[in-house]
Amino acid sequence: MFDRRLLKNFDWILLLLLIIISAISVLNLYSATYPLRQAGGSVIFMKQIYWFIIGFAALLFMTTFDYHLLGRLAYPAYFFALALLIVVLLKGEVRSGSQRWLSLGGVMFQPAELMKIALVIALARFFSEHDHPNGYRLRDLWRPFLLMALPCGLIIKEPDLGTALTIGIVCFSVILFAKVRLKSLLILVIGAFLAAPFIWVNLQEYQQKRILTYLSPEMDPLGAGYHINQSKIAIGSGLVWGKGFLQGTQTRLHFLPEQHTDFAFSVLAEEWGFAGSLILLLLYLFLMLWGINIARTSKDKFGALISLGVVAIIFWQMAINVSMVTGLLPVVGIPLVLFSYGGSSIVSTMAGMGLLMNISMRRFMFQ
Amino acid sequence: MKVREKKWIRFRIYVVTFFFVGGLGIILSRAYQLQVLERERLTSIALAGYRDVIRLPSKRGTIYDREGHELAVSISVDSIYARPALIKEKLLASRKLARTLQVKQSKIFRVLNSKRPFVWLVRREEPDKVKQVKSLHLEGVGFTKESRRYYPGKEIAAHVLGFAGTDHKGLEGLEKAYDKILRGPECRLVQMRDALGRPFYVSRVVSDGRETHDLVLTIDKDVQYRAQQALNAAVAKTKSKSGQCVIVNAVSGEVLAMAVSPSFNPNVFWKYHSYQWRNRTITDCYEPGSVIKAFLLGAALDSGTISPDMKFYCEKGEYRVGRRIIHDHHAGGYDFLSVREIIAFSSNIGAVKIGEKLGYERFYEYLRKFGFGRKTGIDLIGERSGFVRPVESAKEIEKATICFGQGMTATSLQLVMAMAAIANRGRLMRPYLVREIRDEEGKVIRKTPPRLVRRVISAETASKVAEILEHVVSKEGTGSLAAIEGYRVAGKTGTSQKVDPRTRSYSNQKYVSLFVGFVPVDRPKLVILVMLNEPQGNRYGGVVAAPVFREVGAWSLNHLGVHPQLVLVKNKEEKQKFPSRPDRSLESKVREINPDFLPDFTGQTMRDVLREARSLGLEVVLEGTGLAVSQSPKAGHPLGKISKVKVSFHPPI
Repeated sequence: MFDRRLLKNFDWILLLLLIIISAISVLNLYSATYPLRQAGGSVIFMKQIYWFIIGFAALLFMTTFDYHLLGRLAYPAYFFALALLIVVLLKGEVRSGSQRWLSLGGVMFQPAELMKIALVIALARFFSEHDHPNGYRLRDLWRPFLLMALPCGLIIKEPDLGTALTIGIVCFSVILFAKVRLKSLLILVIGAFLAAPFIWVNLQEYQQKRILTYLSPEMDPLGAGYHINQSKIAIGSGLVWGKGFLQGTQTRLHFLPEQHTDFAFSVLAEEWGFAGSLILLLLYLFLMLWGINIARTSKDKFGALISLGVVAIIFWQMAINVSMVTGLLPVVGIPLVLFSYGGSSIVSTMAGMGLLMNISMRRFMFQ
Repeated sequence: MKVREKKWIRFRIYVVTFFFVGGLGIILSRAYQLQVLERERLTSIALAGYRDVIRLPSKRGTIYDREGHELAVSISVDSIYARPALIKEKLLASRKLARTLQVKQSKIFRVLNSKRPFVWLVRREEPDKVKQVKSLHLEGVGFTKESRRYYPGKEIAAHVLGFAGTDHKGLEGLEKAYDKILRGPECRLVQMRDALGRPFYVSRVVSDGRETHDLVLTIDKDVQYRAQQALNAAVAKTKSKSGQCVIVNAVSGEVLAMAVSPSFNPNVFWKYHSYQWRNRTITDCYEPGSVIKAFLLGAALDSGTISPDMKFYCEKGEYRVGRRIIHDHHAGGYDFLSVREIIAFSSNIGAVKIGEKLGYERFYEYLRKFGFGRKTGIDLIGERSGFVRPVESAKEIEKATICFGQGMTATSLQLVMAMAAIANRGRLMRPYLVREIRDEEGKVIRKTPPRLVRRVISAETASKVAEILEHVVSKEGTGSLAAIEGYRVAGKTGTSQKVDPRTRSYSNQKYVSLFVGFVPVDRPKLVILVMLNEPQGNRYGGVVAAPVFREVGAWSLNHLGVHPQLVLVKNKEEKQKFPSRPDRSLESKVREINPDFLPDFTGQTMRDVLREARSLGLEVVLEGTGLAVSQSPKAGHPLGKISKVKVSFHPPI
């Protein structure tokens, strides 16, 4: 089972990148929860460290077996995750208006996070089995779309628009990557535009408000636009070199909403300035390019698709979150991947990273 | 993998890479936009927002007079603010506030409806009103300590002190000139409130590291008060438009008092016009008139051109210079006068003759050396330098008229300092107002030493000039009313016509009346200038200004513990450089003690003569104008035998 070449090909760079990002995350979280330290902020901080340890353990675990094993487990895993999503809706924990969490022996856990990875693997399996060299037509794609739509629907029901959106967009990226015919693509885009009004109508009122606020955040500075304004102010007031560690005033005073989760980036930007934001974003870019390189050099389509799916998860979550906190996009509750506080997200992302590493390690091996 | 597949993947990879890099590029440029391009806007929002930067009541330094009395202090008072967003019933709140603060409800209502998160309701309110507002327990109304500048003496030395505005910036006077030193550290406390407006202190006091300094002035509060009182009284009595009085230490140049009438109350400075804040003693230039003869004398004696006993022919009151005729004020003029007499009687023609002998070029040089035409360098802002016509541009007539102070201008401070130079044995000093600067612990960190500007005339000449100027205050001189019992006084009167801005020629109605003198002559302590602007009625400096000199001088000498010299004179008669003249004070005492004899009216004003004569039940016949010069019957005549007295008056210059 164990092959010495595996150790030789172990992707140290990827590991190092992840360790750096995790370290920055922990440091930043310390600052973000600093004002809360009397009210259990240090607990949050310690928990994050534990979650990272668990995450790295998950990562290492994911490298221990050949990823082709996952090909076989893809659909079962997918349905398992789907079942969990249904369980969440039936008896999940309700927090701040949404039912997203499952309690697993006292540890809170979001099945939606698991679903991201499971879905990527399932899609990778599908596309590697059904090869259409000239590109997929719409009718070839009904199964991937179904695979995507089921969990999305369940997650929207929680409601957790942000995660649903991420999953949808990640799936879409994978599908596009798998090659869709141009005509089919056009139909899809036009369909999306036509569906938009219906989606709008079906959105919750607060979700509609967020989108309106996005269009003009200054309209209602203390209402719905408050979050985004405070975040922009925090980021903007960081200037080039930032206010310094623990010196972020917007952060200190709870002006930032959800500063340890969704708005963690704002805390970093306020305290470390543009320089800090630049470094973090470049680390992410490097991580993604590294992932893409793994996809490129992977020895088969299955590996390439999984790699790409994982990278897409990172990219979209990062892009949506940072765009949101900088006011480029409406507020959607997506944490900054690998950076914000949140156990399930860290563990599932790290597991995804493990997959990436798994593929990277085995690119020179033959079955 | 098949080759085709490889190619397929490679192409897609490139597309994806391009997409990722592009996406990150957009995000980065957004961060750049927020953090680098828009930083000023966003930083200011971050500062303004829901947090307030509270400027702590930075204690502005105290200003003390030379004896440690407080002239300007900072006290801590409450200011009331509101956070409109937290006030639910704005109408009710505004009604309650309006009633308590006694302001219009509509005004408060408008403020409460402001979109801003923080508004001031009232700054630096009286404690009892603050208490009342506190007892209303209104939500969204808060209080904060602010310091307020308070001038306990109100009008005392107002023009010297100036004032500091609401934002603690010195706006006028010493408050402005020493603003950087007085202003304490700018302490800011970022009082933070969370998103719901609940206070959340992060007491990070940011101080700019400056220290508070106190000033100790050369001003003597009591002397200043006295000078101001006397000046106000004189201005009222003579119906003058304004008046000035400057008292300096003859030796050091320390300014003991600097009074301008009418004054203002710096506690409520905004209720006055800005011209009322002006310290006219340094900003207003006027023609000094005959006072300049004292400096002409100094120049002529110092250059050796004349001697005190030299006689000049005074042309019987009419002397042609160019196309103009110069007059003397004495009816019929004088024929021959000694230098002493020219000064004592203030003969214009005599002065012109001395000036001709001296030469304008030399006179100009001496005037410049006395400090005319340039700033004295006092530690105030806004000083003017006055004007003396340079040799090249002076016409014949101007060279003549300047000898009696026409055609040049000076400030009161220049005049008093030039006179101080004579008193101080020929040394011109720089005047100053701040004696010491102290730090917070009261340690003296800077002490102003007296500073010599230059020697103007020799000590010997100065003594001679002083002796002659003493004659001005003698019985027959024009400044006799300036005499102070028990002290030897020297000085010079001046009465100058003002230029009417409408006709652009000298007015017959508008005069400046002056007396500048020092006391005691042999060991000068005080140099005092009294100036009255446009007195109505009697306008002679010797009549209107000199009594103020006497009043302020006598009081100040007493206050400063300068003992009357009578005893000294008697004990050290042989040591005295100048023979003491028969003392007026003794005479006046005799006069007061013996009500059965006719008093000596000489040197008194018409009004005083009338009052005194009437109190004795005598009928008075008045002759001429100015001061009483002779009487019939003579003083000491038994009162019982007369019912009528004739008094002749003569205008002094």
